[in-house]
Amino acid sequence: MKRYLRNHDAISETEQSRLAEKHVLVVGCGGLGGMLIECLARIGVGHLRVVDGDLFDETNLNRQLLSSTMNLNRPKTLAAQQRVMAVNPLVKVEAFQTLLTEENAGDLLFGCDVALDALDNIPARLLLQQAAKAANIPLVHAAVAGWIGQVCVIQPGQDLLNLLYPNSNEMQGEEQESGTLSFTAAVTASWQAAETVKLLLGKSGLEGEVLQIDLLTSSVNKVKLI
Amino acid sequence: MITVNTEAYPWHSGMTVRSLLDEKVFTFRHIIVRVNGEYVPEEDYENFAIQDEDEVVVLHLMAGG
Repeated sequence: MKRYLRNHDAISETEQSRLAEKHVLVVGCGGLGGMLIECLARIGVGHLRVVDGDLFDETNLNRQLLSSTMNLNRPKTLAAQQRVMAVNPLVKVEAFQTLLTEENAGDLLFGCDVALDALDNIPARLLLQQAAKAANIPLVHAAVAGWIGQVCVIQPGQDLLNLLYPNSNEMQGEEQESGTLSFTAAVTASWQAAETVKLLLGKSGLEGEVLQIDLLTSSVNKVKLI
Repeated sequence: MITVNTEAYPWHSGMTVRSLLDEKVFTFRHIIVRVNGEYVPEEDYENFAIQDEDEVVVLHLMAGG
């Protein structure tokens, strides 16, 4: 199939077939989620379940790939679904226009091989970690603030988000002051997508560490967490 | 010598979390500090002594998406 010709041989034909069978949950269809969905659809992950309760607004236009002046006030999940259909109709998309809650988390994760944290607040991220642990699937986390981003792969039970967010009563972090930039979201989400594909294909990646990306100082560091 | 994230950094007598953050010019308002795996709350930065050979991790606290 010509569609995936430029994936090879970085991704073998056997691996390409395996990706087509995988189910990935993406929670958050904003700055990180939009780019994640784009990368995963183009590389050929077969099943995407996308979750977001929000509608696009003007403040999203600086960075969120799926947002445009044409779809303001429309659901982010609808834009995700339409984008994937336009880019790669071989990918099946299930869209859920809802916030992640304790009540729906189990159902949303059911049948997925991996969960992706593209959320924008700490309590929801911790809830997703708990749900992924209960479902016994890995979680790939990413977050951004201004020029900096971070990515982390969390196996069930490692609870690495508890180390990144020691005060669970906080809602947000550095992004309150520094905002979120387009290229930071794109780079961080791309790295998150790469870690996800490696997980799905059984390749080694981040383990017990957080990758910190600083685009202002042009530096990338892996810091051991456990 | 101590380790700060992945780098070796010279230790000196009287070093605290606060003095280290000042020396390293960690100016972000939202950070997480761990010394030998132990989380150090912000209110303890002034008095938390760093010993020679300690492993210090300083992370940005970020949650934007």
